[in-house]
Amino acid sequence: MTITAPSSRLRGMRDLLPADMARFRTIERAFRDELLGWGYDEVRTPTIEALHLFTSAGTLSPQLLDRVYSFLDWDGWTGERVVLRPDSTIPMTRLYSEQYPAGAKLCYVQNIFRFAQGDQPRELWQCGAEVVGDTWPSGDVELIAAASGVLNRLGITGFEVQLSHTGIMRALLAHAGFAPDERADHYDRLLDGDREAMRALEERLPRSLPLHLLFDARGTGAGYLANLRAAFLGDIPEMSTPLDELETVTRALEQAGYTLELDAALARDFEYYTGPVFRFARGGVSLGAGGRYDTLVQDSAGMPVPACGFALYMERIGALLPAMDGEEQIALQIVAEYESDASLGAALAAAQRLRGNGLRAGLAAFASDNPSGRRLIVRGPDAVTPYELRDSDMGPSTPVSDLDELVRMIGGEA
Amino acid sequence: MIRLALPTGDLRTPVATLLSEAGLASEEYGAGSRALRLALPGREDVLMRVFREKDLPVQVALGNYDLGICSAVWVEELQSRYPYEDVTVLRPLPLGHGRLVAAVHPDTRARIGPLSDWSSVPGLRIVSEFPAIAERFARRLRLPRATVHGLWGGAEAYPPEDADIAILPARGDTSPQGLHTVATLMEMPALLIGNRRALAGHDLSALLGPLLTAGGEVAGTALRLPRAGSVAARPAPSREPVAERETVRLAIPDGHAQRHTWAALQQAGIVFDGYEEKRSDRRPATTIPGLEVKVIRPQDMPAQVALGAFDLAITGRDWLMDHLWAFPGSPVAEAVDLGRSRYGIVAAVSEDVPADTLAEAVTYWRETGRQSIRVASEYPNVADHFARTHHLGRYQVIPVNGASEAFVPDDSEILIEGTETGSSFRANRLKGIARVFESTNCVIRSTRPVQGQRADLLERLLTRLHEGALQPAG
Repeated sequence: MTITAPSSRLRGMRDLLPADMARFRTIERAFRDELLGWGYDEVRTPTIEALHLFTSAGTLSPQLLDRVYSFLDWDGWTGERVVLRPDSTIPMTRLYSEQYPAGAKLCYVQNIFRFAQGDQPRELWQCGAEVVGDTWPSGDVELIAAASGVLNRLGITGFEVQLSHTGIMRALLAHAGFAPDERADHYDRLLDGDREAMRALEERLPRSLPLHLLFDARGTGAGYLANLRAAFLGDIPEMSTPLDELETVTRALEQAGYTLELDAALARDFEYYTGPVFRFARGGVSLGAGGRYDTLVQDSAGMPVPACGFALYMERIGALLPAMDGEEQIALQIVAEYESDASLGAALAAAQRLRGNGLRAGLAAFASDNPSGRRLIVRGPDAVTPYELRDSDMGPSTPVSDLDELVRMIGGEA
Repeated sequence: MIRLALPTGDLRTPVATLLSEAGLASEEYGAGSRALRLALPGREDVLMRVFREKDLPVQVALGNYDLGICSAVWVEELQSRYPYEDVTVLRPLPLGHGRLVAAVHPDTRARIGPLSDWSSVPGLRIVSEFPAIAERFARRLRLPRATVHGLWGGAEAYPPEDADIAILPARGDTSPQGLHTVATLMEMPALLIGNRRALAGHDLSALLGPLLTAGGEVAGTALRLPRAGSVAARPAPSREPVAERETVRLAIPDGHAQRHTWAALQQAGIVFDGYEEKRSDRRPATTIPGLEVKVIRPQDMPAQVALGAFDLAITGRDWLMDHLWAFPGSPVAEAVDLGRSRYGIVAAVSEDVPADTLAEAVTYWRETGRQSIRVASEYPNVADHFARTHHLGRYQVIPVNGASEAFVPDDSEILIEGTETGSSFRANRLKGIARVFESTNCVIRSTRPVQGQRADLLERLLTRLHEGALQPAG
């Protein structure tokens, strides 16, 4: 009988078992193949960063800042707190401004940490890409194509590419007279379907504006943008630039055969995006998101550098992949029968030889209780039968005289 | 059993009056009493325990106590750091007073402008006894690269030299002494609080009923954090680099340590006008040219010396060790052992634990089903280091701010505490089981290099204090 002890694993933390790792590596492989193919270079930023990177206006939202893991490090007597990376884009912007002032195309696979209540995950894995430099609008369309490419490589079908522009809602809320620091809060409440927030907005705007066109309708192409222009530009001319930018990206993607869904109220993280934003969703679940953030990266002189990026959520994508059993090829267990120096050394030599031939083979204890696995019994070079191959404990055994014969016997199966 | 946590300190007298009104009077609680565990006559099912206000909401959140009374500001401090704790506010009480304010010195105000401009001032230094509230204040205002220094007390002494903003209590409508209030963050009535799980599952009505109705109605309170404005960038406030400072800055303590410090200074032939055996000003005057003196809490001194705010400070080795075990690379070190205020820092357990060594005690706790060993201490970093290096296995450090002898055995297994003669341990049925180190008062100094006249004065002061310490105490 097995008694299961209560787990010491912390809440919200997860062990990745072989099947999880197989999915993880599959996503990682598809991501790297796709992004390196588009000319991105892979980097990784440190797990611990300075908290102040994430606290300036226009970086993390106040809600997210209330969920970061921050603490004083062993040299934190100065009072400067550090943080377990709660986001990847902001560390990437730090990396850019320090290493690539002229701009670059980088991608990453790394984890982020955010407190979540109950058993919700507190460590999340993301694969993402960023372009920094003068890349409007080519960077935006390339990132959407690349992220779609990753999902296609993984065989994920039926996902939607949703497109929006933060400038539309920003112009609307500014026109309604909300102060800059109120806009993000109010916007979040609108996205949450808060009726009070919607009523407050309606009261501040001319009745002639068809707000349902922004909040309830979803467009499928440039036609929808033309309708928005007709409805809103008369009252809110500030919407003109966002709509133009959105149209540029929409037309390019449509021409290349992408099907899009346009949604004026889409993006969370309102504070740091400044331009077009996009999301990949399947069955209402967001698999990844990104957008343009032209004020987040600053050069050495403190001037903003245009940038754009996305992140795909590996746990959610992993859940859509077929079940995987870890490595497909089961390792051959090599057993030194008498555990003498001679048989153990011979077993090790056999393992090295097989591994050199690209096979999975490792040492196992004589009493190893995996009777279903294929085993090689090693008795040592002086024994009458130095090696014996058994398909299982009860199955027939085949004598093997030397390693060359062994490789011939099982190497063909590799 | 219903467990009620009550505050010590200023709230003790008004809370005692409220308890009388609610028919819950205990003779041992009230002005002048020092009892920490209280009986309620005729009610064996009620356990009352006295805590420092700062420790009280933590104890209710942990579930060690079902109900508690303390100032709203300590509840807010806990909830600012741990928003998901199991503590809930039941009602504001018609006692306790004051406001929590953000205040600046008039000189600082002239440099950094009004609060709406602060989001563009990099590197502001905030001091507060309420660091979690101060962190939220800084985050909400989006203060770039602000640092928050948690203090044991005396925040009003820091601006303008040693902090730009202080977040501290103010009485009535007045500003804290010498400072200008820029925002009121909350009112500070006392609150009746409860543990969410206890309220959900246990019958607390015998206490809850009377406590919910005693006293009059009073308005509730909530933290009001100002929001960031959007203005053009302002330069960082100019600050004299530590290396270019011409004066030597010395910090000396108030409170219990004052008497010993005054004696050590006397012995070294150093007298400050405004710093006596029992009375002190914040900024005592000195006739020694090039020397500046300030009175702050001894607990806060190691961090302040490390930051470069002070060159020298007179504090206890206990506070230095607590700082250095948290920050091993901190540029602060002991310079002179003044040899006074001598006590052992000792790990103590209940007399009822059948063990003579720590290892035996740990075995005993494990065998009797304790999963996690609780270590209470005023020195959380000393306690953490002790628990780690003595292989306690799974443990919890419970920071304590006073009234600590009563923590064992109900609220912790181990107490790490200073003791001179062991009499307070015996009075509370505790026994020392491991000696951690010996503490005396000492001069600590910054390990940063100092040059010129300032270095000469520093060395002269250290020599005098050293020679004074060598003389027999008179």
